[in-house]
Amino acid sequence: MTRMQFHLNGRSVQADAEPATLLVDLLRGPLGLTGTHVGCDTSQCGACTVLLDGAAVKSCTLLAVQVAGHEVTTVEGLAEGDTLHAVQEAFIACHGLQCGFCTPGMIMSAVGLLQANPKPSEAEIVHALDGNLCRCTGYVNIVAAVRQAADAMSGERA
Amino acid sequence: MNAPLQTQRFGSGHSVRRVEDPALVQGQGRYTDDVAPAGQVFVRFVRSTAAHANLVSVDVAAARAMPGVLAVYTGADLQAAGVKPIAVAPAFRRPDGRPMATAPRRALALDRVRYVGEAVAMVVAESREAARAAGDAVLIEYHELPAVVDALSALKPGAPLLSDAPDNVSAEMRHGDAAAVKTAFDGAAHRITLEIVNQRVAPSPMEPRSVLASWADGRLTVRLSSQMPTGVRNGLAEAIPGLSADTVRVLVGDVGGGFGMKTGIYPEDIAVAYAALQLKRPVKWQAERVEDFLTAAHGRDLVSRAEMALDAGGKVLALRIRSLANIGAYPSTTGAAIQLLIGPWVTTSIYDIPLIDLHLTAVLSNCAATGAYRGAGRPEAIYITERLFDAAARELKLDPAELRRRNMIRTDQFPYTNPMAQVYDCGQFEQMLDQGLLLADWQGFDARRHASQARGRLRGRGIATFLEWTGGNALEENVQVNVTAEGFIELTSATMAMGQGIATSYVQLAHDVFGVPIEKIRVLQGDTDRANGFGSAGSRSLFTGGAAVRVAAERTVAQGKELAAEALEAPARDIEYTAGGFSVAGTDLGIGLFELAARQSTARITVDGNAKAAAPSWPNGCHVCEVEIDPGTGAVEVVAYASVNDIGRIVSPTIVRGQVEGGAVQGIGQALSEQVVYDGSGQLLSASFMDYALPHVDGFLGFKTMFDQSVPCLTNGLGAKGVGELGTIGATPAVVNAVIDALDHAGQGRNAEKVQMPLTGERVWRALNGDYDAPLFG
Repeated sequence: MTRMQFHLNGRSVQADAEPATLLVDLLRGPLGLTGTHVGCDTSQCGACTVLLDGAAVKSCTLLAVQVAGHEVTTVEGLAEGDTLHAVQEAFIACHGLQCGFCTPGMIMSAVGLLQANPKPSEAEIVHALDGNLCRCTGYVNIVAAVRQAADAMSGERA
Repeated sequence: MNAPLQTQRFGSGHSVRRVEDPALVQGQGRYTDDVAPAGQVFVRFVRSTAAHANLVSVDVAAARAMPGVLAVYTGADLQAAGVKPIAVAPAFRRPDGRPMATAPRRALALDRVRYVGEAVAMVVAESREAARAAGDAVLIEYHELPAVVDALSALKPGAPLLSDAPDNVSAEMRHGDAAAVKTAFDGAAHRITLEIVNQRVAPSPMEPRSVLASWADGRLTVRLSSQMPTGVRNGLAEAIPGLSADTVRVLVGDVGGGFGMKTGIYPEDIAVAYAALQLKRPVKWQAERVEDFLTAAHGRDLVSRAEMALDAGGKVLALRIRSLANIGAYPSTTGAAIQLLIGPWVTTSIYDIPLIDLHLTAVLSNCAATGAYRGAGRPEAIYITERLFDAAARELKLDPAELRRRNMIRTDQFPYTNPMAQVYDCGQFEQMLDQGLLLADWQGFDARRHASQARGRLRGRGIATFLEWTGGNALEENVQVNVTAEGFIELTSATMAMGQGIATSYVQLAHDVFGVPIEKIRVLQGDTDRANGFGSAGSRSLFTGGAAVRVAAERTVAQGKELAAEALEAPARDIEYTAGGFSVAGTDLGIGLFELAARQSTARITVDGNAKAAAPSWPNGCHVCEVEIDPGTGAVEVVAYASVNDIGRIVSPTIVRGQVEGGAVQGIGQALSEQVVYDGSGQLLSASFMDYALPHVDGFLGFKTMFDQSVPCLTNGLGAKGVGELGTIGATPAVVNAVIDALDHAGQGRNAEKVQMPLTGERVWRALNGDYDAPLFG
């Protein structure tokens, strides 16, 4: 068991993890952050996507100990109080979710994209989400939601 | 004070933000695995690596001795404890008159395994890691038997047998008038024959199955991801000795997609519940994706020889279809019904086809069982019929839309009884066709084809005009309304949310009646202590459960007026209700709805409402697809998709659009990329998302989707028709017809009709070079 420290959703946390523990299992288990989901066992579905130092990563593909000293953001860390993140807001407004199981991963991939590239083209949005699977929506409204969030966020900055 | 305005904005018929979404976008959903009671322990199933084998021995001694292991169970343990196989209702028969043949489906295999992935042993341990390690220590000795994985091979003499029956026929049905059909074919001007494969696919909801069972105070509580909580409750009570429906409570939280796959009880549900009873600890099993691919219900898997007879003018005289369905090793009654009955109900679709001869055989094999998957029988049947129409149009050198038009049921023929004795209450099929052709710019296609050609691409156009049967023949629902002193209205229903947004639609319907802000209306589902019924499947929930919401809400207001009359000491006939408040007409006397609830001895007003639809609803539509093929690779791209849909009256416009378009992408997946593949020895080759090609975000996103609300359903209180499966049913034939059109135009002619799904680049490239799969029926 390794005692590790990292930043999670803006706060410093300490956690114990076995060398073989996956980040997603640390988040969902001992840390109780069940918004990050597991939809496959081969790193295809992206339901477990989180931000690591601002970049979207699949938390099923990282060992927990690899994030020691780094900054991790999960879907629970996006809203500020009662105010949803622009991407969360856009997913609701555009009906970008149905069952909601892939949604946290989709949202985290989108947030990662928009932090790096505030005005993505449709092709760039599609590329950024290609590691996330959704079985309900057909992706139509997800791409629309990311477009709307990009517009809303760049409007805020302007 | 502005009730009418509010009703306009939030009531039925208006697009609203879904009530489900704020929690889900913040990671606050409550899927089964998110619930982690103190002391929970974990299950690992040890699964057969052989497709067909006698179990010589199952040695669990080493596994039992491993650290953290609480118990290891085998099929023999469960049998000794009296755990029964899953019951199969004897609804269907074999040709020899005996009941439907199937092997007993046990929670854990006993003596023999019949497909790869079948659970043989169950380890329960303190951690997932310990359970997995101990699972690896279970030693199974197999005496392997020959395996068979497709229906045609399974029917050959000498094929390995799956059950006690003398062949692998599980059940069979014949529909129609074979002699009259033969006469029609003999005299027909045109006869069309196609061999058609509806390949096996995996439903693949993003949340795999999951079960959490615990025992306390003489009751078993099972939380799981399911579309049918009551069915699971009853199935557990039947299978496990000592349990009854009263001592089992099934809870369902958020469900991460169902698509029919989560409709029945599974062996794992029984095994996990049994372990909880034995160990008196909360026992959890979370399926890995590979376990869902291996053991959850698959869909489709039907091979058909389909024939159509037409007169010289293009009027269809008869259909003759011989189909073999591979329903796997341990079929359920539902798995057989889907192919033997439900598909045939819609085979003649929206067309006035007087004669049918349908011969369907459900066949056992060493594959996972098939079951409900979005559309369940209707996609297969409609695909066959729509393929036949395109082939006939090619034969008759007619526009495929025109040939369809000549055969559509006319508006003066309703109510219309089809050759399967199914009665359609209403439909305006030509109206859908006309709008679909307009939306798709059908007439402008040649210019687009030329433009594609100029870019070196082969363009094709396909159409599907069709209907489907919805309701699952479970047409009655109850809804309980509780108006509480705390200030909210609770609607309790046995239908089940699984992502389709049914709670939002119910809230909108209740808002129509109560006029209170929608935040004050809550929907409770997924608790068999509160509501029991069929559950959600077959696109039934809105037109049955929604109708019951309205009835229950209206009854609540009526009862509220009586109670308000007492409270306000005024005659009931003078009481008016508006937007959350009762008042005495012509006075300033009044009492709020929630205040009235607080005055009751129970601190609530409880009213039950019931609604029963008189018949299934028959949603229908016209879907038109255009594709481009890269002739260098055979890769197919959907480049246009227009659909006009008749789903009757619409409650939640945004939601139904999402259903049709998301559903269409599933249908496109079947057409172009998805396929469950077993090798000849019964090993599953498509057991991960690396090998099973689910549509990704890089597919088509530009749907044009319209709804025509001018044809409300006449047989239910809402006028609504089911919507959940429509897009999936329409998309597959529309896409495939478009690809065949492109191949035809590229010089393949009628040969193109030999191509089979999924239309991968490899298949299409081969077809462009005149290379097709061998005929199925020889």
